[in-house]
Amino acid sequence: MRRRLSLSPWLSLAPALALVVVLVGASLAYGVAQSLGLMAVIGQNTVSLDAYRSLLSGHGPAGREFWSALGFSLWVSVTATIVSAALALLLAVGLASRPGGGAADTLALNWNLAVPHLVWAVALLLFLAQSGLLARLAAAGGLIELPAEFPVLVRDRYGLGLILHYVSKETPFLALIVLAMLRSQPTGYAQVAANLGANRWQRLRYVTLPFVMPGLLAGALLVFAFVFSAYEVPAVLGVGYPRMLSVLALRFFTDPDLRARADGMAVSLILTAIVLAVAAASLKRGGAK
Amino acid sequence: MKRWHSLIAPALLVLAACSSSATPSPAATTAAPTTAPAAGDFDLDQWDSVLAAARGQTVNWYVWGGSDSINRFIDTFYGPALQERYGITLNRVPVADTVDAVNQVLSEKQAGTDPGAVDLIWINGENFYTLKQADLLFPAWAQKLPNSRYVNWDNPALNLDFGHPVDNYESPWSSAQLQLVYDSARLEAAELPRSYTTLLEWACAHPGRFTYIAPGPGGFLGTRFVKGALYDLSGGSAAWLTFDQATWDTWSPALWAYLNELKPCLWRGGETYPQDEAELRSLLANQEVDFSLTNDITGAGTAIENGLLPATARAFVFDQNMIGDFNYVAIPANAPHKAAALVLADLLLEPEFQAAQIVPANGFGLGYAIDVNRVTDEAAVAALLAAATQLGEAATPASDLARALVGDTAAEYHTLVEQDWRVYVLQGE
Repeated sequence: MRRRLSLSPWLSLAPALALVVVLVGASLAYGVAQSLGLMAVIGQNTVSLDAYRSLLSGHGPAGREFWSALGFSLWVSVTATIVSAALALLLAVGLASRPGGGAADTLALNWNLAVPHLVWAVALLLFLAQSGLLARLAAAGGLIELPAEFPVLVRDRYGLGLILHYVSKETPFLALIVLAMLRSQPTGYAQVAANLGANRWQRLRYVTLPFVMPGLLAGALLVFAFVFSAYEVPAVLGVGYPRMLSVLALRFFTDPDLRARADGMAVSLILTAIVLAVAAASLKRGGAK
Repeated sequence: MKRWHSLIAPALLVLAACSSSATPSPAATTAAPTTAPAAGDFDLDQWDSVLAAARGQTVNWYVWGGSDSINRFIDTFYGPALQERYGITLNRVPVADTVDAVNQVLSEKQAGTDPGAVDLIWINGENFYTLKQADLLFPAWAQKLPNSRYVNWDNPALNLDFGHPVDNYESPWSSAQLQLVYDSARLEAAELPRSYTTLLEWACAHPGRFTYIAPGPGGFLGTRFVKGALYDLSGGSAAWLTFDQATWDTWSPALWAYLNELKPCLWRGGETYPQDEAELRSLLANQEVDFSLTNDITGAGTAIENGLLPATARAFVFDQNMIGDFNYVAIPANAPHKAAALVLADLLLEPEFQAAQIVPANGFGLGYAIDVNRVTDEAAVAALLAAATQLGEAATPASDLARALVGDTAAEYHTLVEQDWRVYVLQGE
């Protein structure tokens, strides 16, 4: 057996931490500076809160869309998180109670993790768009007259395509977490509960759920933070209006008018603040339990 | 230890880049991808000195990379010619949007990086204005190129770029004009709408069969389509060449009224719009709509060559107010290989390449930057004539194009159209 390293964990973490702190810290500092209107290259050297003010008051090109983008982002990420957490729970409980098949189940769920979000989004688009594969098959099979009569499932105003994407991608991810916890659970608890007369529902409610909840909550938080701030999927599967906050942020960051950068950066920072706030709240809740 | 280094090194680089924004330091230049002889070892008035300085250089050309056929055209035509004739290596850097190249130059300026990474940018309009405004362009060169003699610099459509004087900061590459594309197997030429008014009638008689590209980044043709409607409603382009807020306030309500009248008749009821030319073209190819938009002088020809549209696709224009313009190349002030960039900009104006760019099979599809009447060399004249005959029936007849041609608006209107379109048409406030 190797001798255990006696170095403090912080020292061994130092290289990784330094990298993260420097990279994230530097870009964060730049972001804050630009969101405050500091743009030396066009001679703007005074700090102002104009970008935040116009966003929060709903004025200006970015501000006009800010609240609807925030609402849309929340709608998509909250719905996708809740639905995929619920489905993951059902799936994992179902799989865990299945005799045998453990390795095969895990493999089936793992396979999903290897598909990048962008690839999956494009696949959904090719499959579900009105000129997509399903629409063509339906038209060829005589179910609908023209491919264009196919229901609008992606690039729709209500974010259904986005939610569908994230649910199909995050359910297996969360199911893996729950499944891992369930498999580490001694079967004894459920058997004792059954002996004491608990039915199937009671066993799920009072034995299984409390056991997997911390893991599921942590996983759901990860999913929420990711969905809320991810750019590529809404860029592929979203529409021009409403847009998610991440899309709005990049749009104004790349505006030819350099003064619009402050708006883009302010949107990004607000987005970051919301994710951090949600993380802090759930950590606190988790800690209180 | 080795691993530790590989982690820390990038972090230090970032630190170096950050610190230099406050006080530009020579250390920052270590971050530059290429170092090269600085500007100054050539004299723009002595073209031979430019050629000599350029020999052996690699020119980093930042080009909008969204069209495979244009990328191929650049690699096949300019790459070998630069190498064989001038000993210059062409490094085409594809960007998703020209603004990315602009941002690169701006970031380099912020980080104090000189020489930078960009030698030449395919540019026009607002992006040109951004760089010119920030004083980040290499000045006073365009009319010093030997082939600049073929360019008609007196043409206001050419010496003004979205209303902003070109002022020798950029040299033209090609020209373009907005046109519509339809499939002649599905529609008769006689029933085509020939004005914005008849387009509205046509669209509402065929609900869901027309749409246009959302004006905005990447949706340049959509912006142009909307500006054409603005010209139509206000009685022409003359009022729009210089910016006046009052003119905008007078006419923009009528524009939004027109587009909102059109909206319920559009594809998907105007709930969403295609984001770029490729998306609209595939809607046409999929028979979801009956028209698409293009800027190509070859009309539908390039798309047909690439198998994106059926061979029966044809281009046409309204009788008036179809915006056309020139596009350019510009050299950033911190370009590492200015001499090579100059040689490339000159090569773009060479009559043989100007002729090649309008041939549909070559995949470029945009029009001449030069005035063909200024070309006297017999072989070049023959090449230009031969190219013109290859345009074929998928292109809009030159006389139709010329009759409908109007210049673009001042750049300020461009932003107003894009921003307000979102508010008054897309969101329908």
